[in-house]
Amino acid sequence: MTLHISSVDTLIIYFEKSISPNILDQVQRAYRLLRPIEGVIDITPSYNSLLIQYDIMLYDYQSIQNIVRKTLVTDSKDTTIVSYSNKLIKIPTQYNTTVGIDLERVAKINNLSIEEVIELHTQTVYRVYAIGFMVGFAYLATVPQQIITPRIATPRTKVSKGSVAIAEHQTAIYPQDSAGGWNIIGHTDFNNFKSFKVGDSIQFVSLS
Amino acid sequence: MNGLLVLNAGMFATIQDRGRYGYTHLGICHSGAMDEYAYLCCQMLLNNHNHNAIELMTGLKLQATAQIQIAITGADLSFKINGISQPIWQTHQIQIGDILSFEKRISGQRAYLAVKDSFVLEKKYKSYATTLKENIGTKLQRGDFLVCIPSISYHIYRVVSKIQKHQSPLILRVLLSYQESYFSKKMKEKFFNSLYEITLQSDRMGYRLQGQAITPSTSDIISEGIAFGSIQIPKDGQPIVLLKERQTIGGYPKIGTVLPIDCYKLAQADIGSKIKFEVIEITEAQKKLLTFNRYFKAYFI
Repeated sequence: MTLHISSVDTLIIYFEKSISPNILDQVQRAYRLLRPIEGVIDITPSYNSLLIQYDIMLYDYQSIQNIVRKTLVTDSKDTTIVSYSNKLIKIPTQYNTTVGIDLERVAKINNLSIEEVIELHTQTVYRVYAIGFMVGFAYLATVPQQIITPRIATPRTKVSKGSVAIAEHQTAIYPQDSAGGWNIIGHTDFNNFKSFKVGDSIQFVSLS
Repeated sequence: MNGLLVLNAGMFATIQDRGRYGYTHLGICHSGAMDEYAYLCCQMLLNNHNHNAIELMTGLKLQATAQIQIAITGADLSFKINGISQPIWQTHQIQIGDILSFEKRISGQRAYLAVKDSFVLEKKYKSYATTLKENIGTKLQRGDFLVCIPSISYHIYRVVSKIQKHQSPLILRVLLSYQESYFSKKMKEKFFNSLYEITLQSDRMGYRLQGQAITPSTSDIISEGIAFGSIQIPKDGQPIVLLKERQTIGGYPKIGTVLPIDCYKLAQADIGSKIKFEVIEITEAQKKLLTFNRYFKAYFI
């Protein structure tokens, strides 16, 4: 675990630099411990990090680090199992090059056929590692090694709602029209984005 | 009913406050006034405590149905009462039937209009702030009616010494942070020695800049929380300064973060105007923000 200054009134905690259920547990446990601290304005948990905004009228960057460290050291003795709802949600998805504007690119970059990309994307049961970017946007991992694809060079100013996309080792569905830099490979009419919780399982089902 | 009737909503007018904090774990962004300095001055002038304001661009036209004390700060959008030009960064006493208009942009981007004791609205997630993509808050439309509590004051309050001048280039002070180590010494030098230009693709989410491309050693990171003012470097190397309506999480490397008080100036800068970045250290940066916070402390809620 390391602590870094991220802005004048935020710091970021990094756990081990990888994506795994074990690290997710550490993040969620730390989140629950840090949340009640007075003067903590907001905490944004993600795969392996927590961004903490604090009140600089109460702490400077050194004193907040001390408090966070002290709180989390106590945590190392904490063996409480973090519980999740663990539901499985299936997402009916259209995969084609009309709605999946980057599908061909994803196939090409990875030396695969479009069919292989679809097969690989649907065969994995993903886990919700974080909710963020915007309301209902669930970060799902881990994408099979063969279809890991970097983000597009210039983020688009508009990606339409329901777009199913890949960025590196993660996949997601855009719950609203928004700007975005992920590779769009399909589209879903699924609309219950608010039901996503960290820890849930998600599987895509091809409609074609 | 007492309040302000929207005769014309203009380009873009929303209700804002200081923002919605404590819900980023649900993906709910902070939002809030883009120029918090102007916003807080507006509330200070009226001595409002549980406050909100209209953040507006040109074209807004309102009619009062009651006597209301108001304050206007921020951009100069040729504010008029019944067709007669009026000074901003001060309070005004509005009479029944008065028409308030903001027809033409003179300087700055966003003006703030607050009323004594604030607009009577409901909070969502403990805030009045509007976030369009989340369908939270109020975007003004023609025919909307904003309920106010009638107020009369025979004093005019002004902000005298603190009116912000628009500089060119606008200097933004940056705290090197986050993925600083992903940027070589040469890249950092390039970043701090170049002039950037504000592009058209700039909005409440972020300001996209154009200039010397910056290349990090890694183009993707594991997605993580994004602080206000983060300078994200996407693959094309063109910096994006992320502001109030930024995404809560993102995966592009960030070279550093712009000091909040400088982000407020950026929010008023013209499209096409020039930006230059300058390094600031954490101790100095905290001192600057503390001064700001202490000045407005009484108006923070």
